[in-house]
Amino acid sequence: MVESTARWGRVALVVVSLALVAWAFARVAIREVFPSGQDSNRTELVVMHWSGAGGPAEDAIVDRALARFEEAHPGIRVTRLNPGDAGSFYTKLQTMMAAGSPPDVFYLGAERLSSYADAGLLLPLDDRLQSPGTAADFDLDSFYPATVDAFRFDDGRVGQGPLWGIPKDFTTVGFYYNRDLLREAGVPEPASDWTWDDFIESARAVGRLPGCTGAEFVTWPSMIRAVLWTNGVDLLDENDEIVVDDPGVVEVLERLGSWRHDEDNTLTSGRSETANPASRFLGGKLGFAGPFGRWVVPNYRSITDFEWDYAPLPRGTESANMIATVAWGISARTDHRDEAWQLVSWLTGATTQAEQASLGLAIPTNQVVAEGESFVDPGTPPSRDRDFLDPVAVSRVVPWPPNPALEGTVAKRLDQALRTGDLTVPEALQQIRNWWDVERSSPLASRSLPAMPWAWITGVFLVGLVIALALGWWMLRRTRPDPATVREERSGWLLVSPWVIGFVLFMAVPILLSLALSLTTWSGITTLDEARFVGGGNYEHLLAHDDVFWQSLKVTGVYALLAVPIGQALALLGALLMNVKIRGVSLFRAAWYLPSILAGVGMAVLFRWVFNAENGMMNVILEPALSPLGLEPPDWFVQDAEIFGAPAFAIMSLWLVGGSMMIYLAGLQNVPRSLYEAAEIDRAGPLRRFFSVTIPMISPVILFNVIMSLIGSFQVFTQAFVMTGGGPGDHTRFYVLYLYNQAFDYYEMGYASAMAWLLLLIILGLTMLTLRGSARMVHYEGLR
Amino acid sequence: MAQVRLESIGKTYPGGVRAVDGVSILIEDGEFIVLVGPSGCGKSTTLRMIAGLEAITDGEIRIGDRRVNDVAARDRDIAMVFQDYALYPHMTVGRNLSFGLLRRRQYSSRLRSLLSGSYRANRRKETGAISDRVARAADVLGLGDLLDRHPRELSGGQRQRVALGRAIVRDPSVFLLDEPLSNLDAKLRGEMRTELRRLHRQLGATMVHVTHDQEEAMTLGDRLVVMKDGIVQQCGPPVELYREPVNRFVASFIGTPEMNFLEGVIEEGGVFTSGSVRIELPKGRWPSVSVGQQVTLGVRPEHLERVADSDAMFTGEAEVVEQLGDRTDVILVNGNHRMTARIASGSGLREGDSASLRADLSQAHLFAVDDGENRIATK
Repeated sequence: MVESTARWGRVALVVVSLALVAWAFARVAIREVFPSGQDSNRTELVVMHWSGAGGPAEDAIVDRALARFEEAHPGIRVTRLNPGDAGSFYTKLQTMMAAGSPPDVFYLGAERLSSYADAGLLLPLDDRLQSPGTAADFDLDSFYPATVDAFRFDDGRVGQGPLWGIPKDFTTVGFYYNRDLLREAGVPEPASDWTWDDFIESARAVGRLPGCTGAEFVTWPSMIRAVLWTNGVDLLDENDEIVVDDPGVVEVLERLGSWRHDEDNTLTSGRSETANPASRFLGGKLGFAGPFGRWVVPNYRSITDFEWDYAPLPRGTESANMIATVAWGISARTDHRDEAWQLVSWLTGATTQAEQASLGLAIPTNQVVAEGESFVDPGTPPSRDRDFLDPVAVSRVVPWPPNPALEGTVAKRLDQALRTGDLTVPEALQQIRNWWDVERSSPLASRSLPAMPWAWITGVFLVGLVIALALGWWMLRRTRPDPATVREERSGWLLVSPWVIGFVLFMAVPILLSLALSLTTWSGITTLDEARFVGGGNYEHLLAHDDVFWQSLKVTGVYALLAVPIGQALALLGALLMNVKIRGVSLFRAAWYLPSILAGVGMAVLFRWVFNAENGMMNVILEPALSPLGLEPPDWFVQDAEIFGAPAFAIMSLWLVGGSMMIYLAGLQNVPRSLYEAAEIDRAGPLRRFFSVTIPMISPVILFNVIMSLIGSFQVFTQAFVMTGGGPGDHTRFYVLYLYNQAFDYYEMGYASAMAWLLLLIILGLTMLTLRGSARMVHYEGLR
Repeated sequence: MAQVRLESIGKTYPGGVRAVDGVSILIEDGEFIVLVGPSGCGKSTTLRMIAGLEAITDGEIRIGDRRVNDVAARDRDIAMVFQDYALYPHMTVGRNLSFGLLRRRQYSSRLRSLLSGSYRANRRKETGAISDRVARAADVLGLGDLLDRHPRELSGGQRQRVALGRAIVRDPSVFLLDEPLSNLDAKLRGEMRTELRRLHRQLGATMVHVTHDQEEAMTLGDRLVVMKDGIVQQCGPPVELYREPVNRFVASFIGTPEMNFLEGVIEEGGVFTSGSVRIELPKGRWPSVSVGQQVTLGVRPEHLERVADSDAMFTGEAEVVEQLGDRTDVILVNGNHRMTARIASGSGLREGDSASLRADLSQAHLFAVDDGENRIATK
């Protein structure tokens, strides 16, 4: 009776488990097989966008435009995705593209065009311009030609070839200025054709006002190139070579650097960096801020205590400006090309543009709309809307070769030369040039690499799997002939099978896949069959040619060298304190542990303020302690980042010793009290007791904590990503951050996979070394 | 070697629990004294107060002629053996033994020798002296072959010996032993008892031993201190405690099997009556008892003998018969009364049989029936 109940119970359990698994997979399968469910006579389009500076307003605009579209096109249903800001958007887009199921229609920033078009992910649009479904109010001829050219790309060059996206809005750049401060400094308002001399003189005048600074001047690569254009030079020549010896380039850049470094209060100092340089203008102590585009306007409209306005980029030897623009693109893989085009032409048609323009966030790409009243509106600031439109004639999009790492590298080096000042301009240019030459001559950049033999790899993998399973089965049979044991093992396997299946599918296969990918170049935005086999090329490039790799290893190593020993010592010390029996000790324990459960990003933001050089808590505390010695507290993340960047992160990591501390506390409480008493009677003082009893008795715990924290210290990411982004230069570029840059900013997933495997080897080696080296110091006797 | 003097010492724990109350004992130089009592009686606390591991709430402790109330444990010149031995698990036996000696080197003398240039020579001499002492202690306890082993590689008895060795090697003025034998099996415990006795003789040291095992206490101690609820009940040589327990608690605690107690009343003619049991008490042995007084009669099992029914003081049915070879312990039941008797073996008595007993009343005790349950004086 009991036995049959047990058997039925077992059967029921199996049935329930199977049903659960089947249900989980069936949901996915059904979605794949019957894509649009019961509503199969309507076409479904997936649209993805972000909400940038526009915030929720942008969300509402797109939503309303789509609703109107659906109303006008009853046969089409639109699903809207909005992952958040542009960063999350591109991460999501990349994952969807790699999975082979991209959205049909999506935002496409001009700066990403070359990567996406080059990878064949976009649908060319020229043939569709006249197709029947085109929206009635769509007319490409009335668009600003420069914005349209920004989405032409062919053979590594922007501005030529097929059209890959329809620009939805755009901006030129210039300087926002504080009208009140200019008036106070006795400086005239900038004219529409003002010059760099006008600019710098006005900035100097404002800088002389008490507590004020002349200008915030961002050194973003595209902005810097626009500045160079106004002087008739450029950073890249027509062969995409970095210009190092043009005296014009060097002179312009050096002058810019000198404004910041040699003059007080003309430009904001590197020390006073905040998260968003645009938001410094809000404080009302800054004469100019820029070069920024229209995107800061929603933010600046919250200003109530001073008047502000906008002037275009000043003129040097000639007038020039840059265009930043975002288009709607269509995926090359969409099954509904016609419907997707209908939607894109609808979204970029005059009506939708006018509606968006009236909100003032974006500048319409349709000239007629832009010049009309919906955009040009002197009533709301900025009153000089025309100054966004007039420079279009001398504007172009900033062309970057289809290698996103180039812009990243230029950004890092220019930042070091123009902001923190730890490189001279010629040094910075030379470094960019050297890096670019290595990159371009690398065999990895070749377009004629063989495809990755996936079929062959999968075959080998499957054969290996079958052999392994057969071998396992055979050993099972051989060693356990007893039927009762076999039955027991069978139930055991059945019970762990959900985990085993999950592990194999979601851990083992991706791990092996990343190993295979480390032998390829693969962008991560195409499907896997686009991966090209390079053998050990990634590893060779990493070890032999990639200076940033070694730099990131150095930063990580310095961090580990500081964070592990100091952190562990502090955790142990804390645990000793927490082990004291006093009233309310659990309160202290909770307080020390609390930071460990706080979100990493929030903590990083907090600590960016703590380490702020001018009024961060750290330096406010350090200053009185150091000044009697004639020392000054370091400028942690800007000017002194080369020496103090990684240590600052190590100091910050001490905030998180609570986790280790709790483990130490558990270890301490396991040490028998009689040992301390015996030692005391053996005439050992407190220090002796600590070193001769406590330390040996908890040595296994120390080893565990040290290894865990060592592994953790090689995986620092969030803090660096949020606080410094690896900069200035590469002074705080931790290993995993660089890995992330390669994978998600530079679209080098194969290279990043190789980095991940090298990291595994490094951590494995260090762990083995620690285990071996500590063998004589760790006593497990206390655990028995 | 030293005398230890406890003068009405007391211990009150923060919660208000009074663990030890007014304990006064004079432990003579070279004496082996055993603190004994049921668990929670305060014996361990007393020992730990002597050691300096537990602060003294009131009273005074003197070791030799020094008042040590406020002296740290490490400065009291004592050695202690713990119930769980407290061997340093990460050190070899040799290191365990020498640990206390290494700690004794004084920084000031080291500095002096460093300045006088004789540091190395002194150090060598010192190290030599230490290993000599370790070797001697190991010799005494038969640990010579174990010096390089770790505690985990030793048997319970060997660990016990190392713990003793760690105490011996220091040559302290007082040895404190906190239930050192309770973790050993019965056979080993017997052996170690003998060994402890031998050691005490050999070293002539003052030893204070704590146990809850009265048999261990009887066999080891020169004197016993029986404690209950933090208060000393009686202090004296084992035989004295056995023969003349001051109260019913001590009487019941000392001796196995436990003393039999009959609660009853004195009737006319000096007859002790307890239910159906009537025992005529010897005239004049307890002059102070009066007719009608409630008393408890205590008779040890070994003072009962089996007699013919006609001479019986107590008759009952044998509930349990334990054959111990040289003797037999019998539990007789009669109504509410139970009597344990230790009789000669070979009587042929079986469980369920009826038997009669007679007590040797010259060895029996009367206890008052009151809070103290003190023994009533004999003539």
